[in-house]
Amino acid sequence: MERQTINKNKRVFSAEPTKLSPSEVFTRKYTSHLVPALKKLNMDKNSPQINQLTVKHEVDMALALSAQEFAWSRFLLEKLSSSNNPTTTISSSSNGTRIPERSCKEDEDGEIEEKLRELQKLLPGGEEMNVEEMLIEIGNYIKCLELQTSALKSIVQDTT
Amino acid sequence: MLEGLVSPENLSLSYADMSVPERLKWLQQHQQQEVLSLSSNDSPDLLQILQFHGSNNDELLQSTFSHFQMVGSGFGTNYNMGFGHSHEAMDGCISRTSSCQIHPPDTMGVMLKNSEENRAISLKNKRKSEVKTREEEKTEKKIKVEAETESNISNKEASSDTSKETSKGASQIQKLDYIHVRARRGEATDRHSLAERARREKISKKMKYLQDLVPGCNTVTGKAGVLDEIINYVQSLQRQVEFLSMKLAVINPELELGVEDLSVKQFQAAYFTNFPVVIASKPSVMVDVPLFPLDQQGSLNLSVSNPNQTSIDAPSESWETQSQSLFASVLR
Repeated sequence: MERQTINKNKRVFSAEPTKLSPSEVFTRKYTSHLVPALKKLNMDKNSPQINQLTVKHEVDMALALSAQEFAWSRFLLEKLSSSNNPTTTISSSSNGTRIPERSCKEDEDGEIEEKLRELQKLLPGGEEMNVEEMLIEIGNYIKCLELQTSALKSIVQDTT
Repeated sequence: MLEGLVSPENLSLSYADMSVPERLKWLQQHQQQEVLSLSSNDSPDLLQILQFHGSNNDELLQSTFSHFQMVGSGFGTNYNMGFGHSHEAMDGCISRTSSCQIHPPDTMGVMLKNSEENRAISLKNKRKSEVKTREEEKTEKKIKVEAETESNISNKEASSDTSKETSKGASQIQKLDYIHVRARRGEATDRHSLAERARREKISKKMKYLQDLVPGCNTVTGKAGVLDEIINYVQSLQRQVEFLSMKLAVINPELELGVEDLSVKQFQAAYFTNFPVVIASKPSVMVDVPLFPLDQQGSLNLSVSNPNQTSIDAPSESWETQSQSLFASVLR
């Protein structure tokens, strides 16, 4: 493949990849989950318009399935499987505005705790973890979200 | 011979001037030096006593010994006179019994003024932090001994100190399996605050890692600011995903139509022949990808007319690998 010759020093993308970085692994898994799911959606409901929520559902499902080594993915799967329509946890947040910076140093600890709690709300299943775990999981979650975003972008780009 | 006559408890407890742990610690530091300084002398008995008493809390005795060494063995009787009630003078050795009382510093002050003053001053000046910053290899054994004796004598404060000291020398002493935290100057030393501090340090380590992960966090200082940035970043990522899935929902049907059409046509031929074309066209697409594809909102091409694109989409596997190779380059 041309791509291989072009990027000799970088990861080799052959038909049988030997070494993949975690982000690559994730992306592969993600697309392999999402694309067939989308196709299935289209096959099943040809006439009715594809519901936005169902696509979102599939998107989230693909995310959860691709990142099963992380704790938050379990929680996400639970949430998704418990309801047909995706829950509003990952919908556009109510806090549309940026969180204002802390003004008073005396309340520093309280504010920090408040912010940690908010972060916990953002992370699926975050409220059930303690702070240390949550911080680790947030790191993974952010990375996976980034990869998911770029994957979706590329899929969308491909078709437009 | 002499070792059995002296009991550490009596000596330490009768020394009412300074607190036990402070004395002990200070002695730990100094006795090694004293032993080294005296090791050159030919007085194995005294040396032995010194080394033994190094583990005891008896600064005055040590200072007298050293002074004794310096002055000479002939001075022994005079020294012994000043020492205590029941003692047996020996040639070149000072004997002590269990009932021996050590006089407070002022009685011996005349003889030992200089060294005593130095020691007192240095003791006052020394804080716990300085003690802790000493080199550990010298005091390794002493810490062990100290820990053993301390456990009998000391109160909670001292034990926490020793636990800290043992934790400091943990790399050498592997008897405890604790999480080791260094107590800085002026900080509380009970177990609870130690655990708290360990926990807080772990959390701040993770915050630093998150700071590296989230772009734009480096400029902000303080936990709250970093947390702010992280929250905003996660929210924006989630919003992006939502937006993209919305877009996907809109264009999805058309995508699938194209797939169905072409899968009938030239499945494998398209797969192989169009690959180089596809690859060549990819870079342009990659370059143009903005963070928020808002500019493409109005330009959704619902009809799959471009042969390049359709040929990509035709075989699902090839399309997947294409996307993946695209992702790979994007991710790099």
